[in-house]
Amino acid sequence: MTAQASERRTAFRLGQRAILPLLPGAFAWGLISGVAMVKGGLTVPWAITMSLLVYAGSAQLAALPLIVAGAPMWVIVATGLITNLRFVIYSAALRPYFADEPWRRRAALGFFMTDFTFTRFMRAAQEGSLPERNRDAWFAGVCSSNWVTWQVSALTGIIGASYVPTQWGLQFTGTLALVALVGPSLNVRPAVVGAVVAAVVALLAFPLPFKLGLFCAAIAGIAAATLADLWQQRALPGSPEGA
Amino acid sequence: MNEAVTGIALGVVIIGLALSTFVTRTSFLLAGAKLRLGARVEAALRYAPVCTLAAIIVPDILLHPPQTTLDLSLFNPRLVGALAAGLWLCWSRNIIGCLGFGMAAYTLARLYL
Repeated sequence: MTAQASERRTAFRLGQRAILPLLPGAFAWGLISGVAMVKGGLTVPWAITMSLLVYAGSAQLAALPLIVAGAPMWVIVATGLITNLRFVIYSAALRPYFADEPWRRRAALGFFMTDFTFTRFMRAAQEGSLPERNRDAWFAGVCSSNWVTWQVSALTGIIGASYVPTQWGLQFTGTLALVALVGPSLNVRPAVVGAVVAAVVALLAFPLPFKLGLFCAAIAGIAAATLADLWQQRALPGSPEGA
Repeated sequence: MNEAVTGIALGVVIIGLALSTFVTRTSFLLAGAKLRLGARVEAALRYAPVCTLAAIIVPDILLHPPQTTLDLSLFNPRLVGALAAGLWLCWSRNIIGCLGFGMAAYTLARLYL
């Protein structure tokens, strides 16, 4: 094995290790998504197909009631698309890190990127714990562990739907994993402003159709955080009150 | 009432949903790879994780179905669990501990409040 290949392998392993503590959250979320697919009325083969091909829990859960109610196909796909719109923002945020990679690699890393893996990557970038080189291998490590965990748990949920105790609220582990990921980022004021604005808009816009509220909230939060950032930069250095 | 979508139609819907995942996740990584977004937009995108996750987490805690109104009371087990997880994070960065402590608080609140 060449030195370069072994360096890539090390980066991949470090990525796998970086996502490890979050995997209970991914497992619980995948498990409950799998159960919901079957209890919602999909047959086992279709539920497995969906989990493997779509690999987006929130879009799958948004589409499910529409599938069962026999909604028009375009409405179902549009709902999935709009639920997934936040990934366009994630994709834009990741672009600078992978711009020099070949397109196949960018396509693969993009497809396997989720809320968990994207946030884990950005957190590492913020902390400075990303490797200098082979960031794509590091991210591939993060994404592969997350994918395997999620698929195994979804399959478990699909096959064992009637045995998984849904009243325990296991999927809340997924929410808590997101809390654990995002909490440490709230150490600067613009991030707090952005999070509060995003949360308020998400609550107000919750009744919007097609799960549009989430995307609106993300955009509003990012705009508010940026304004707070600009205002802070203007207010702090050298201004009399800021001293 | 309509019949549920099944058979080939369901296959088409699943392929459509898979495409929606692929297209959104790879959008800027593939099609937009050569675009220069400008320093200001790239700086703004640093806030993407914290804002998007706040927009996912907060409704999940406060508006959990079948609930349709805000549940800000301390009798809301999800709020209790999330607050416990937040407190844990102030004290330790250990994620497994945070999940365990949050789930324990949530479960106790669910059973006894």
